[in-house]
Amino acid sequence: MRLEHWIYMLPLRLRSLFRRRQVDAELDEELRYHVERKTEEYIAQGLNHDEARYAAMRGMDGLEQRKEECRDVRRVNSIENFFQDLRYGLRMLRKSPGFTAVAVLTLALGIGANTAIFSVVNAVLLRPLAYPEPDRIVNFFLGNHDIEGTSVPIYMFWREQTEVLQDFALYGEVVKGPGVNLTSTDHPELLRTIHVSAGFFKLFGASVEIGRTFTDQEDVPRGPRLAVISDGFWRRRFGADRSLVGKSIPLGGEPYVVIGIVRDLEPIHSAWNSLGPSLHIDTPADVWLPAQADPNSADQGGSYRAAARLKPGVTLEMARAATNVAQARFRQKYPSERLSSFSFNVEPLSDAVVGNVRLALLVLMGAVSFVLLIACVNVANLLLARATGRRREMAIRAALGAGRRRIVFQLMTETLPLSLAGGVLGIGFGYSVVRVLLAGNSVNLPRIGTHGSDVTLDLRVIIFTMLTATVTGILFGLIPAFSASRGDVNAALKESGARSGCGRGQNKTRSILVVSEIALALVLVAGAALLMRTFVALRAVEPGFETHNVLTFEMSINQPRFDQTTAVARLLRDAQSRVVGLPGVEALAATRSLPLDPNPDYEPINIEGRPPAKDRYQNWAAARQVSARYFEVFRISLLQGRLFTERDDERTPRVVVINETMAKAFWPGYPLGRSPVGERIADVSSANEEESPMQIIGVVADVRDAGLGSKPEPMVYVPIEQRSDVESAADNLFASMIWAVRTNAEPYSLSAAIQRELRIASGGLPVAHIRSMDQVRAEATADSNFNMMLFNVFAGIAILLAAIGIYGVMAYAVEQRTQEIGVRIALGARPRDVVRMVVRQGMRLALTGVFIGVMGAAALTPLMASLLYGVKASDPVVLTAVAVLLSAVALVAIYIPAHRAAQVEPVLALRLE
Amino acid sequence: MSKPSDLVQGTLDLLVLKILALEPLNGWAISQRLRQVSGDILQVSDGSLYPALHKLEQEGWITAEWKPSENNRRAKFYSLTRFGRKNLEREAANWTRLSGAITSVLGLEEA
Repeated sequence: MRLEHWIYMLPLRLRSLFRRRQVDAELDEELRYHVERKTEEYIAQGLNHDEARYAAMRGMDGLEQRKEECRDVRRVNSIENFFQDLRYGLRMLRKSPGFTAVAVLTLALGIGANTAIFSVVNAVLLRPLAYPEPDRIVNFFLGNHDIEGTSVPIYMFWREQTEVLQDFALYGEVVKGPGVNLTSTDHPELLRTIHVSAGFFKLFGASVEIGRTFTDQEDVPRGPRLAVISDGFWRRRFGADRSLVGKSIPLGGEPYVVIGIVRDLEPIHSAWNSLGPSLHIDTPADVWLPAQADPNSADQGGSYRAAARLKPGVTLEMARAATNVAQARFRQKYPSERLSSFSFNVEPLSDAVVGNVRLALLVLMGAVSFVLLIACVNVANLLLARATGRRREMAIRAALGAGRRRIVFQLMTETLPLSLAGGVLGIGFGYSVVRVLLAGNSVNLPRIGTHGSDVTLDLRVIIFTMLTATVTGILFGLIPAFSASRGDVNAALKESGARSGCGRGQNKTRSILVVSEIALALVLVAGAALLMRTFVALRAVEPGFETHNVLTFEMSINQPRFDQTTAVARLLRDAQSRVVGLPGVEALAATRSLPLDPNPDYEPINIEGRPPAKDRYQNWAAARQVSARYFEVFRISLLQGRLFTERDDERTPRVVVINETMAKAFWPGYPLGRSPVGERIADVSSANEEESPMQIIGVVADVRDAGLGSKPEPMVYVPIEQRSDVESAADNLFASMIWAVRTNAEPYSLSAAIQRELRIASGGLPVAHIRSMDQVRAEATADSNFNMMLFNVFAGIAILLAAIGIYGVMAYAVEQRTQEIGVRIALGARPRDVVRMVVRQGMRLALTGVFIGVMGAAALTPLMASLLYGVKASDPVVLTAVAVLLSAVALVAIYIPAHRAAQVEPVLALRLE
Repeated sequence: MSKPSDLVQGTLDLLVLKILALEPLNGWAISQRLRQVSGDILQVSDGSLYPALHKLEQEGWITAEWKPSENNRRAKFYSLTRFGRKNLEREAANWTRLSGAITSVLGLEEA
């Protein structure tokens, strides 16, 4: 029965859709026939021709309406109407190019800004990681992301959980790891290297181009020296020589046999860094070396990452439970180990990669959607002004049988070309904005590639933009459409053309739009102001050292000949004598990590002569290994005691320098009372039990080591020359040697000479990652800089659009009241009175908007609290300043039409009608 | 009186279907026939007839064909389809049941 229905109906529907002209002609003919026969009937009854025809038409009860009803019955009407309206809409837009240009540009601005931010969100948050089943990969981490890495024993406990997890992988960090030198060639090079377990390649789905990856049998302590290299590195360095596989290359001074070439993998790193801003470097690894970790090792040092894949049917919750079991077992075996005090956790790998960037991006997305809303409101306002001119047209349409729905639909269809044009332009605009934005190296986001090359216009971005454009079109088309379809047909037809549409309802809608526009703009400006305060506050932070004229170089000494401290000490001495001799160089220091580039170790400590803390991890300090001249190079001032000298080496008693925060934390009353200088502390982490205590020889000023926005932490400076051999070897494996040179000339101008001397001093090792401390400092504020810059742009657009909006409404209101104002002036009102009257009317709207905006800002800004420094989310000063600013902008925008109103010539105004 | 408010909803369709069941007719002739058979009791506006015809055509109950009319002019003649005839039978049965029920309710003796 249903089917039968369609058999009859379908051809008819198709016919009405595709043979519309013929169907319409037939309808005309059918009804004409009826009217003619009816007329004949009436003539036969004795009426004259005209009377008969009139009677016949009355019998039809509105011929045109009836025709429309018949067309409606055919249902496909909506599709026909759509195309008809579209054609009509395009014609209307062509007829008013000024309006069209303003509307399309406004929309392109709003939509483009959204496209720009969304394309970043897409690349960072939405684009799936380029691994097989990326959402099944879980990342293992300790505590609240506050421990940098995982130790081998912890990994061994975790990988027992084979019930729920598979494809376990242990790997080092490519970003912060020291890398390995490709040596004994003409161009020694520091390679991005990760030590990985054999399972790594399976977990991350490496596709092998030539050869193979490691086997489990090779991934054992003292296993063979093998290397898998990346496709990119192979092409760059070896000209894609296929015979390389099976040959050996010198890495870190040792020959490694290349067994496979693997296509470049998306870099895997953790963006979490509770210690301060983390630097995201999206460079894929060049070389993978077997981790060859000892499963029986008890060494809790090290900084490994661990990940695995959920077994089929296993949920994240089950993996969490299993991880807790691993933790319980680990605690049982190592009850007093420091790492036992941290919880063992798993998270989806994507969370680890994105880290706390998610919040910043979502806040930006929110801000940019406000910009779009404002743009919508502005265009709605423009349309509304235009719609008033078309009231008669709408009334005539209504009189000819167009239903209200039909009129609303028509108006909305007319706005569709506007929003789609805005969308297309917006894609272009947004994309160029993204390119400009990410072109510099200053943007600190994960997964965006070098200079943002991974932020692309993919299908998702285009669909997003076009959807946004369509929804936008509906949004701003709806308000004027309803406003226009409302109202009394008769009244509209009777109104004279020029003065039509001055109804109160229209003005009310426009006023509401302006108020909301100002409120939205205020929220954005408040956000921008807070981020600006943050930026200024961060800029004003005294880092505790002098950044100017310091150049830093990174060198990996991750090779066997530096496994003993004496070798490292010799390297420091050689470098010292070679570099300091250069003209322009004041001093050279070596360190394992730079201030503001946080990578310190945290060590539990005990102070000699005091009862050990109940929990031996209660007292802790950050530790940084430095050479004697560190304080001189960074100009960190000495507060008490003395600094290191070259005589503090492996033969003399172990000494440390502490910072002021440490002194205050452990010696109450510092700097009065008992001085820490002369006291001895012990590092009680398990690897160092047998080490002798270290004597405090000096106290230095605090440095913002953990980032400009973080409070200084207790810090112990340890001489590199006094590390034990075990410690030195571990340091080499997990951290680079960083050379810092204080110059009395432009630091980069000395770069080549210093590099040359460092290479000679180190026996041919390359340096990489050359940065001035000014640059390091700039990178430390890159996040807040980026947020602030974008917010400022958005806020600027918002203010501009809001100003245009209120100007438009007031100019229109003044124009409507020209006559009235003319009468007032004729009756003796002074220009001042007129200005005051108009300004009062406008400012009432503006201040309502400001008030609502302040409420909104107070409600919304707490969402961005974690992006702020040195200012509270709902800072009253900021809110007040922003309110004043917006009121002032509104005043200017209102003053222009008010001034014009005061110039009204009464005689002209009265003649207007 | 733009809508046949005095006609129960759907009754017009039933009447049209029944008339067309007898012979194919054009719109004007249907309106003539309606007036004749109902003896002017059922007031059907000419205006509402055509939307009803188009609706029935779209539903597939009737089909249309252009043919020369009584006075040799081209007119659109509607005729009942097989599908329409089935529906007419069902609707007519419904109507009989409904009117019978109403009649019997109205026929109740007041106590």
